Amino acid sequence: MTIMEPLEIGILSKRNKGFTGKIKRYYEKKGHSVKIFLEGNLSIDNSLLEKDFYILKSKQLFYLYAAYFLDSNNVIVIPDTYISHIFKNRVESYFSLQKKGFLTPKVYMGNAKSFKSQLSINEFPLVQKPIMSSGSKDIRIIKSINDLDLNSEEVIYLEKYIEGNHYLVYFIENETCVCEKKPLANEHQKVKIITNDYEIEQLTLQWKEIYKLMFGHLDLIRERSTNKLYIVDVGTFPEFSNWKGSIDPIKAIGDSILFKYQLLKGN
Amino acid sequence: MVKIGLIIDNYHLEKKVMQFLEYCRNIAEVSIYVEEEYLLDFSGNKFNEDIFFAKAKGDLVLSIVKLIEESTQIPVINSSKGIFLAFNRFLNSVLLRKAGINIPDFCLLPLGLMPPFKEYIIKNIIDQKNYSFNPKINKEEGNLKVIDIRALEEAEGINAKYNHLYYQEFIKSKWEYKIYTIGEELYFFKQLPILVNPDKMKSRTEIPNIPEIAEMAHKATHILDLEISSIDFLKSKEGIYYLTDINSSPNFNYLKNGPQIVGDYLISRAKR
Repeated sequence: MTIMEPLEIGILSKRNKGFTGKIKRYYEKKGHSVKIFLEGNLSIDNSLLEKDFYILKSKQLFYLYAAYFLDSNNVIVIPDTYISHIFKNRVESYFSLQKKGFLTPKVYMGNAKSFKSQLSINEFPLVQKPIMSSGSKDIRIIKSINDLDLNSEEVIYLEKYIEGNHYLVYFIENETCVCEKKPLANEHQKVKIITNDYEIEQLTLQWKEIYKLMFGHLDLIRERSTNKLYIVDVGTFPEFSNWKGSIDPIKAIGDSILFKYQLLKGN
Repeated sequence: MVKIGLIIDNYHLEKKVMQFLEYCRNIAEVSIYVEEEYLLDFSGNKFNEDIFFAKAKGDLVLSIVKLIEESTQIPVINSSKGIFLAFNRFLNSVLLRKAGINIPDFCLLPLGLMPPFKEYIIKNIIDQKNYSFNPKINKEEGNLKVIDIRALEEAEGINAKYNHLYYQEFIKSKWEYKIYTIGEELYFFKQLPILVNPDKMKSRTEIPNIPEIAEMAHKATHILDLEISSIDFLKSKEGIYYLTDINSSPNFNYLKNGPQIVGDYLISRAKR
């Protein structure tokens, strides 16, 4: 590997601990300079343009805004801004996955009154998710119409609840790590590592290839009645807190980001 | 008879489209999808209209438009991309600037930081709701600082959604230029800026085509994928026109024969 000139790297992240903090230290040990842009110090203006490239760790709206601003000023952002945006927006994500042939749960949108007057009781239970989100934050099961606030005019997004086994699947390059988890549990909760689930591994690698991703994660459910695999959530930059693969995720992802940067810069 | 689908919210249905519906019902079959009453089933909708017109910009409206785009060949005006970009002020600023359109300098800063321009206007970042510009004007050391109260509420109010403010450099202009775009047709007006006279219609007059504005308007609608829009421009003391606002759901009642012009345009764009 050729020796790289020290780089000025920005990380767009909602926190400075966890994976963000670790990758910062990894790059600093290699001689690079790294600044983490948290919400409170994220000024989206020309001052951002001084870095060599940015890592889009968090997909919250203002980090996406920053990433689009950087893209438009020809500053490299990794992972890809547009793909990150699509997977942050559940509606966009649904259509994108459908178009690529992946199985996703049925989706409904409307306000509580529309659900009450028009949705069959047979459709329950459902899962309420924020439109702009990923992960398990603010997700809840709606067992019946009584779980919705009928006085609210807010438009809500509901997915059909799939009965079955829930999986969190990480991948870094061509290595996958399949974890079985409790329904709606977040990435950090206790999981059971599953080995040799060829179907899940192939689905994950297929997703990776189609979207040209270097790393990421999928939340899957294998429906009990049909044995079919549904994608219920996607992420372009998880914390890898339950990763049990053979490679060190910090080193592998840190190096693949630098490799991607060189590739994009060369182009 | 052409079938027109109108995707709308209660506010626009009650206040903005009466004449439009009256006209269209004579020349087309009109079905109405009201945001507050519609249950969107992503897998179960069967649309048989020849054209859709979205006259609102809420989340459900956007998703209905997206579903029609993804699952049918029926034209929708405006597109989901156009609606989304028009109400995302920061994103459209980024795209328009990149395309070489004159827009005032802008930035998005955390609360407490000041922009690098002396005179500025703070605008709401996501202009998705049905409420009007509500300016508060301050003068500090002779410099104008205008704050749209909506922007402050979004960043500092009880239900604050974020902690940033969008700053746009203030352009002093004698007139505000309002352009309606319907397909390739442009309609030009000027009026006193709202900060000078809040009753915008009182001073509004139709004006001849201004080529610099026309070029920017065509370019902007192409970049943002908008077929029907209204666009605001200001003219600096150096004589440069700046695009300051773009709206995907304009009130075309202000346009002479606006409802007919829009109705006829929809018919012309209907699926054959």
